Amino acid sequence: MNSFHFDWGGVLTGSPAAWLVAGLVNTILITVTGTFVASLLAIVLLLGRTSSAHYARYLAQAIVMGFRNTPLLVQLFFWYFAVYPALPEWFRDWVIADHWFSPLPFGFRCISPEFVCACLGLSWFTGAFLAEELRAGLKAVPLAQSEAALTQGFSHWKTFRYILLPQAMRNAWQPIVGQYLNLMKLSSLASSIGFAEIIYSTREIESFNAHAIEAYAVGTLLYLILGLLMGQLFVSFGPGQIKRNNVVARVALSGFLHRLRFLS
Amino acid sequence: MIFDLSVITDNWSYLLFGRTVDGEIGGLLLTLLMSLSAGMLALIFGILAAVISWRFQGWTRRVLYSGAEFIRSIPLILVIFWLYFLLPRFLGRNISGVTTVILSIAWFSAASVMHATLSGIEALSFGQVEAGLASGMSYWQVLRHILLPQAVPNLIPSYIGLFVALIKDTSLALVVNVPELTTVANQVNSRTQIYPAEIFLFIGVIYFVICTVLSELPRLLVKRTHQHLKFANSI
Amino acid sequence: MSFSHANIAVEFRHLSKSYGDFSALKNIDLKIAAGEVVVVCGPSGSGKSTLIRTINRLESYDQGDILVSGQSTRSLRGRDLQQLRTGIGFVFQQFNLYAHLTARDNITIALVQVLGLSKRVAEERADVLLEKVGLPDKGDHFPSQLSGGQQQRVAIARTLAMEPSIILFDEPTSALDPEMIGEVLNVIRQLAHTGITMVVVTHEMGFARELADRIVFMDQGEVLEVASPEQFFSQAQHPRAQRFLQQILPSHSSATS
Repeated sequence: MNSFHFDWGGVLTGSPAAWLVAGLVNTILITVTGTFVASLLAIVLLLGRTSSAHYARYLAQAIVMGFRNTPLLVQLFFWYFAVYPALPEWFRDWVIADHWFSPLPFGFRCISPEFVCACLGLSWFTGAFLAEELRAGLKAVPLAQSEAALTQGFSHWKTFRYILLPQAMRNAWQPIVGQYLNLMKLSSLASSIGFAEIIYSTREIESFNAHAIEAYAVGTLLYLILGLLMGQLFVSFGPGQIKRNNVVARVALSGFLHRLRFLS
Repeated sequence: MIFDLSVITDNWSYLLFGRTVDGEIGGLLLTLLMSLSAGMLALIFGILAAVISWRFQGWTRRVLYSGAEFIRSIPLILVIFWLYFLLPRFLGRNISGVTTVILSIAWFSAASVMHATLSGIEALSFGQVEAGLASGMSYWQVLRHILLPQAVPNLIPSYIGLFVALIKDTSLALVVNVPELTTVANQVNSRTQIYPAEIFLFIGVIYFVICTVLSELPRLLVKRTHQHLKFANSI
Repeated sequence: MSFSHANIAVEFRHLSKSYGDFSALKNIDLKIAAGEVVVVCGPSGSGKSTLIRTINRLESYDQGDILVSGQSTRSLRGRDLQQLRTGIGFVFQQFNLYAHLTARDNITIALVQVLGLSKRVAEERADVLLEKVGLPDKGDHFPSQLSGGQQQRVAIARTLAMEPSIILFDEPTSALDPEMIGEVLNVIRQLAHTGITMVVVTHEMGFARELADRIVFMDQGEVLEVASPEQFFSQAQHPRAQRFLQQILPSHSSATS
């Protein structure tokens, strides 16, 4: 066992540094993309959950439950080993072809099968959780709101889009941000399917020059910084809280308990 | 797409039990054992931390809170890696991968248990605490006889939710090659190559059944435990 | 009124308490004799509740001292503080019964856990007290099944079970619907002048006039007047006391059923 002798140079210069930077870029990319796609999926699932059509409700509930009650890692393997090879060939060719945005510095690629699968896996998983948070936020919107909108002539869709959804998001903002932050942290699992994000890079460094602890220390720091930045971003650009009776307190508590059902 | 279940039938015992017959527990059995161990540790230490930070406000609470925040701001994978490297150095001997994973997950979940328990305790009316103190009880007696008996039954749904998350977290044991269900499935897949859908759907269903059953448990439990308080609402 | 040293149950000496700039209690000097019934009254925010809560240290204080049965309580901590509290009963405005325990268990729990009595002895005592407060058949009921007046009576029984020498009442009827105030006042009336020192914070002036040995009037953290009920109600000296009486007496009906 070697004593605690740290060689930061071995990690912060040369190839290791390049890998870390590429890993960081990939983490940011997958987080941004994943957040976007997950949010879209969540809204679609939410519409399904609240639809008046029988089958849509059951389907949406089944999908949400399916993705929430299985580990993300298993889902990632499923996307990567089972689904991706079954996708149409033209799509897969497009993914591995060189586009103007594909090659990143230091030999890492932007769009790759691993990226696509990681994105799918993270989005569906997070989307299912987001759908549940939004549903709780929606429940906390008083019925009176949609009644008012309908009497004014809003269609169901417009009521949802302009009146209900924004309020649902405000109500559940805390847990929603928690889910986005979680997506960023869960991107670390994508290393298991070969996606070159931060953890992947640290393991490369570990096998390159055995500087495991230094590499992990840098990785930890990167995640902490990313988390802080993301949190700040959402706080600054997020909606303000609606103070309506006990809604804030109730949803805050339920959102708190939701957030505690932390997931992997 | 036709599912060829032969890969499942050929490997079912390996998937469910790993190499238990050879003395190395694995597969679903290992997943369940790890979950139960980590779950108990997380519950004990989480409640302990909550009780301590309730009793000793001020910097003790802040330290415990910061520790919890920190541990949850980094991915669980990193926590596993850190313990994997640091534990042997601090304890001077080799720690098995299973132990590392159990401890990492337990620590990770304990933070959430602490938050949940603390908010459960503080949701109770403080007047009861004053009544207890006024009759000469110590803070610990108030916790033991007044607060926890009321808070814990309310917290069971949250605890179960955390346990479900914990079970899913055990799949991360893959990164240190601990042969629990997901790792074992991955091994079978690498070996057989052509049945990924069947294999991962199979273990997916196993996880799904376990997690769903557990998630629905609170609803059934609530009906039973509140029977004796049922008449409480009929004033 | 002069007191011999041994008969003073509670003595406040230059007691002061402030929250930052706000002075909750200002230099309180007061002696309460053993067995006395003292009513503390005054407008809201006068510090009356804070005053009695300092006696068993539910509130801390900054300056001065409180002597209980001649002993200083200023630096009591831990076990000694618990010991002090077992001798002082406290009845809360909000009853504060333990929600998860039956009425009987509410009474016995401190007997068993703090005083170390056996469960059987404790339950016997509890049943006697439940009878005394007029609730002999409510022992197995939970607080949520009892009315406010019943809950407060159980709370008083809980306090009596510890056999304290001093009982503090913090607005015992203020949280009750009018029709239940009487039943609680009846119970308190039975306790008066039985040897237990009672300090009662209340707005029930009829009760005060009937039972108090002395009335302590407070406003803005100070004790402004201390007098016998006859003197206080007919010839209050301090202008603020007079104003208080004017406001409270015309609208107050002496409901001492």
